[in-house]
Amino acid sequence: MPKRRMPNSDNAVVVDGVRKTFGSVVALADISFKVGRGEVLGLLGPNGAGKTTTVDILSTLTRPDRGHAEVAGHDVASDPAGVRRSIMLTGQQVAVDDMLTGRENLVMFGRLQGLKKSQARSRAKDLLDHFDLVDAADRSVGTYSGGMRRRIDIACGLVVRPEVVFLDEPTTGLDPRSRQSIWELVSDFKEAGIATLLTTQYLEEADALSDRIIVIDHGTIIAEGTADELKERTGATYCEIVPRDMKDLPAMAEALGSLLPEQNRAALTAGSDRIAMPAADGPNTLAEALYLLNAASIELVDIALRRPSLDDVFLALTSRENGDTSAMRVEPEESEGPSGRHRLERNGDTPVTRVEVGEPGDASGRHRLERNGDTSATRVEVGEPGDASGRHRLERTADTSATRSDAEVLP
Amino acid sequence: MTDIAAVRPATSTVQQWWVLTVRVIKPTLRNGEFGTQVAAPIMFTVNFYLPLKQFMGAFTQGTSSYAQYLMPLIALVAISFAAISAALRSATDSVQGIDRRFKASPIAPLTPLAARMSASMYRCCIALVVSLACGYVIGFRFYGHVAHTVGFLLLVLLIGAVLALLGDLIGAANKNPEATTPLLLPPIFVLGLLSAGLEPVERFPSWIRGFVRNQPVSQYVYALRALAGDSTPAAGAVSWSVISPPLIWLTAGAVIVLPLHVLVSTRRR
Repeated sequence: MPKRRMPNSDNAVVVDGVRKTFGSVVALADISFKVGRGEVLGLLGPNGAGKTTTVDILSTLTRPDRGHAEVAGHDVASDPAGVRRSIMLTGQQVAVDDMLTGRENLVMFGRLQGLKKSQARSRAKDLLDHFDLVDAADRSVGTYSGGMRRRIDIACGLVVRPEVVFLDEPTTGLDPRSRQSIWELVSDFKEAGIATLLTTQYLEEADALSDRIIVIDHGTIIAEGTADELKERTGATYCEIVPRDMKDLPAMAEALGSLLPEQNRAALTAGSDRIAMPAADGPNTLAEALYLLNAASIELVDIALRRPSLDDVFLALTSRENGDTSAMRVEPEESEGPSGRHRLERNGDTPVTRVEVGEPGDASGRHRLERNGDTSATRVEVGEPGDASGRHRLERTADTSATRSDAEVLP
Repeated sequence: MTDIAAVRPATSTVQQWWVLTVRVIKPTLRNGEFGTQVAAPIMFTVNFYLPLKQFMGAFTQGTSSYAQYLMPLIALVAISFAAISAALRSATDSVQGIDRRFKASPIAPLTPLAARMSASMYRCCIALVVSLACGYVIGFRFYGHVAHTVGFLLLVLLIGAVLALLGDLIGAANKNPEATTPLLLPPIFVLGLLSAGLEPVERFPSWIRGFVRNQPVSQYVYALRALAGDSTPAAGAVSWSVISPPLIWLTAGAVIVLPLHVLVSTRRR
């Protein structure tokens, strides 16, 4: 096959003004983005946001109603064959032949991609090695566990080198080890200069793997940027102060003086259990606040600089309480107040997704994310007191729940 | 990561067709399906021939034996079961999402269908060979010209091909392997039993004779019986009026089913 020149060598994927409707349902309203070569783009959004439709259009399974999309320099509408030669697609569902063994699947996909029998065999052996499937190589895939199925599924897509990889929720329902190996794989793609479009509902996954994140909801891109930029967008760093005795709150507000903006002062109510205020100077603001409060002899349980977590970003951006997307920014302190309760409920093809944030009176400022999908309950808790980033905790609990769901996938 | 082949080799449609055909056939050799493919025609032979030979055999309009009379229906029922396997397979493929994967791969849209059809023809051949062997055991023989014998074999395979196409389409469309067999069994039994395959049309109540005589299974049976021939003239002569109705039925079936297949295989929403 003659090697095709890519017209725009910087971009592996170009999506420009793509719209797609299914009947009266607008799956994609008007989407535009680019993925550079070797870049990992995270497509983050709740169920039904349009993530899979985007992947389907880019992998030529669905035609866009309007707009233009290019993958590895091939137009999805006019040159679907060129696109198919350049991509690897891993759907939400594992798509291999259950009646064949892992090795037979790999050899089959290698042969389908044009490898000679001997090449396909040796490639299969390498991939089985790499994906830690040697022991299960000659068992039929129908007997594999969820994690093994996902690994063989991805391995089958790597029998030849893809230019662009689409991973559609690749780690949903995987155990920590399988998840880790897929995460490592994404780094490998990056090193090899392969562009990756990763869709995920896991915030920490998008945060850890993606160079850039696009948050998508209702078929519209509602935010785009690096994880840091997104966090910045939801609200800058803020200082959170929790007194030993809640009765000290008015005295604290008094003592902080001009450090506490009028807006935050007004947000304080009888039910408040802490003061949150912008920390424009970062640590200096914190030091100054500490000095002022010490001078006023107010005893504290906690004083910390906090950055909004990606959870905050996601929930703020996709919250359904505010109907229009422009009003979706939520200042961090709002989620601490009595009315700061955000619920996100959705009925998709997977059952209910339910998210509750910042319950009133929850002194630890805990964020809960509960999810009942086909992969059973996932529960994520973030932002424990004293944990400035809340990240470690998030990953740990997410992994635990993943283990549980994987066990249920076992036949 | 292990080094990924830097250059993509060119793909070959013939290689892909063969790989996908082997993919369907290979598991049947070890999951017991091959055994059921062989067992089914034997079972039909025993189930039809033993109980019916004594009291139906008397009404077979002068054919030399009931085996000679029954052979076409045994072959047809065996072939129909091969078509059910085709439906089951295509339903499994679409429900497992492997169809989707093939559609996003550099594989021509109709190659997977062609491969499934080849595998179906392999099943049909097994069904035909085993049912002829069974027929031979109960006393069936080819009496006609070699060309007629070849015609018999080809007609059975052609019927199998159209049925497999239909089954494959139904499987791909309903995406429900569990529901496929219950969906396809009743028509096979109704058309098989209400046909001239087991007993002459004259033995049916007069109000239903029109249906029994003209429905496709009876038309196939008449043609196959004539092609197989007999030691007596009772099998009927091979003539255009006997051969053309089955061919018209089959052509009509293919003309309806094939475009729908093309639609399903090339469809991009």
